[in-house]
Amino acid sequence: MSKDVFVFVESKEGVIRKVSLELLSKGKEIAGHLASRLHAVVIGYQINDIAESLKVYSDSVITVDNELLKEYSWDTYTAVFAELIKRYNPYMILGPSTVTGKDFFPRLAARFRSPMVSDAIGVDFDDNTVKIKKPLFGGKILSWVVCRSDSMIFVTFRPNSFSIEAGDLNGAIVEEHIEVTRDPRLNIVSVEKTISKKVDLQEADFIICGGRGVNGPENFQILEEIADLMNGRVGASRSVVDSKWRDYDDQIGKSGKTVSPKIYMGCGVSGALHHIMGMDTSKVIVAINKDPNAPIFQYADYGVVDDMFDLLPILKNELQMVKEEV
Amino acid sequence: MNILVFIKQVADTEARIIISSDNKTLEIENKYVINFFDEFAIEEAIRIKEKIKDSRITICTYGPARSIEGLRTAIAMGADRAFLIDSTNYESDDPLIVAEILAAFAKKEGFDCILCGRQAIDDENANIGAMAAEFLNIPHVNCITRLDVLENGKVRVESEIEGGKKVLDITLPVLLTTQKGLNEPRVPFITGVMKAMKTEIITIDPASLDVPKETLDKNASKTIIFSYEAPPQRLPVKIVEGVTSGEKAKALIKALRDDVKVI
Ligand SMILES: Cc1cc2nc3c(=O)[nH]c(=O)nc-3n(C[C@H](O)[C@H](O)[C@H](O)COP(=O)(O)OP(=O)(O)OC[C@H]3O[C@@H](n4cnc5c(N)ncnc54)[C@H](O)[C@@H]3O)c2cc1C
Ligand SMILES: Nc1ncnc2c1ncn2[C@@H]1O[C@H](COP(=O)(O)O)[C@@H](O)[C@H]1O
Repeated sequence: MSKDVFVFVESKEGVIRKVSLELLSKGKEIAGHLASRLHAVVIGYQINDIAESLKVYSDSVITVDNELLKEYSWDTYTAVFAELIKRYNPYMILGPSTVTGKDFFPRLAARFRSPMVSDAIGVDFDDNTVKIKKPLFGGKILSWVVCRSDSMIFVTFRPNSFSIEAGDLNGAIVEEHIEVTRDPRLNIVSVEKTISKKVDLQEADFIICGGRGVNGPENFQILEEIADLMNGRVGASRSVVDSKWRDYDDQIGKSGKTVSPKIYMGCGVSGALHHIMGMDTSKVIVAINKDPNAPIFQYADYGVVDDMFDLLPILKNELQMVKEEV
Repeated sequence: MNILVFIKQVADTEARIIISSDNKTLEIENKYVINFFDEFAIEEAIRIKEKIKDSRITICTYGPARSIEGLRTAIAMGADRAFLIDSTNYESDDPLIVAEILAAFAKKEGFDCILCGRQAIDDENANIGAMAAEFLNIPHVNCITRLDVLENGKVRVESEIEGGKKVLDITLPVLLTTQKGLNEPRVPFITGVMKAMKTEIITIDPASLDVPKETLDKNASKTIIFSYEAPPQRLPVKIVEGVTSGEKAKALIKALRDDVKVI
């Protein structure tokens, strides 16, 4: 086995996902430590442009371009990836802890009977042993996991775990040809995508989250405007989703999504533990609540005790001004 | 329809968890519940049985003796049988091992459909479903939001994909992971609870299943938790100063821009 590092590159509507660049940046550091090579692995259809733009981030860009790989499905992606692993024998295989990564990485790990650490947030080295940092119990505990070094390791990382470094490599593109067959047991009836140019909630750098205090679906307008201004996304508490003011897709918390943006701004969110579990790894937490005793203030870096409907329009204008200055 | 449901007993969200002084073990307050997402799996199985009369629901968990409580709850909700695969003498943290043991159990019992939760809220892995399906060489679908059993030995499932929905028809047998939105789990009736008290929970030793010897080895785990630590503490909250909303908004922006430099 080599000590090479594979990074599975995920893209969306032809654009490389931010998390993949984060993993390539970290992958470069890991490969440096192991004195090995970093490979960006892109599978899909008509992926030349993506592959080109990955050259600076990796020692080689491995592509498998096939019409049957246009839409992700675990059967084709697992088979193709497994074949690449056989051809290259990498040591660490990194992927994003997104819907896609969570879907086929465990299958791959099981296929190779190799250890898998999922939803990790950090990596460190103890001499030559790789240690992986992973939250447990909704972030109440952090664990450091080591894998037996004699086998390949699969790891998925949460988006926003690492920063993106400027690429200074010059990898060659290696086109691999692999026959792709669909699993006959699966029949796609329909795929419905709400085509959205907005970033996914889990990848957003800025999240403004509305709670029951928003008091109705129509009042989310101001949150939307601020999110757009910041290139971010609107999130929601469970009470909001249960009241059908927002889709389940937006829910942050134990029974929703786990997010760790640069800025999380909770508006009219009380800060129940189930909610906190989904956002407490955010870099900066801002709480806006009219009740000075709201529990969310115990978890926040900055608190504003105010009525959100008074504050948000002014905040939006101020943010606009900051944006225009830059 | 022969339905298997995998459930896990996990520490309740409110349970106190203390890290030992050598950072090597956790002491967890004795407050365990059925994993949040697994309740949707149990409920869905019961709903299938309500539609397709000659169905049988078997619940199974790989865990220590205290997990029997969760199995009883599942029986009280309406499941037919429950098995405890006793983990006392074996590894139970490495998902590969757990999935392999559960898959071996499934193979032995036979099934048309396996339901399990999308993720356990203690280890937060979201691995077991897809791994068990791989070991069984059957299709899986994660995070389903709708399930219909079709006439022709297939199921139609709707699931969440990145920014949308996908509908698939899948040939049985299949493994599906469940999440919120699929159904509303029922609260057991007292009659169910009485029945559950009387139902025998069958305990089995993983060694009686067809799993490779290495899997049951004491050192089988390929992942080892090296240490635990508490998450970094945030500094106490800074309440931004100001009398009017305008002053507060300005103070907040200043802090975000100049102090933590995130805008
Ligand atoms: C098993 C389980 C899983 C759960 N999973 C989740 C989950 O994934 N995500 C989640 O969010 N919750 C989850 N919950 C629910 C959670 O416990 C809380 O009930 C929920 O988070 C509360 O939502 P909220 O903060 O929006 O509403 P509330 O608790 O009602 O808080 C509303 C807040 O708005 C403030 N407010 C009102 N008006 C204004 C105003 N004009 N300006 C400023 N502030 C105002 C109030 O002071 C209050 O603090 C879960 C619960 C359980 C039991
Ligand atoms: N020890 C176990 N016994 C039975 N089912 C389990 C066990 N561990 C996990 N599961 C099932 O697999 C799902 C995903 O778990 P995990 O991969 O640990 O996040 C859970 O929601 C359970 O349904």
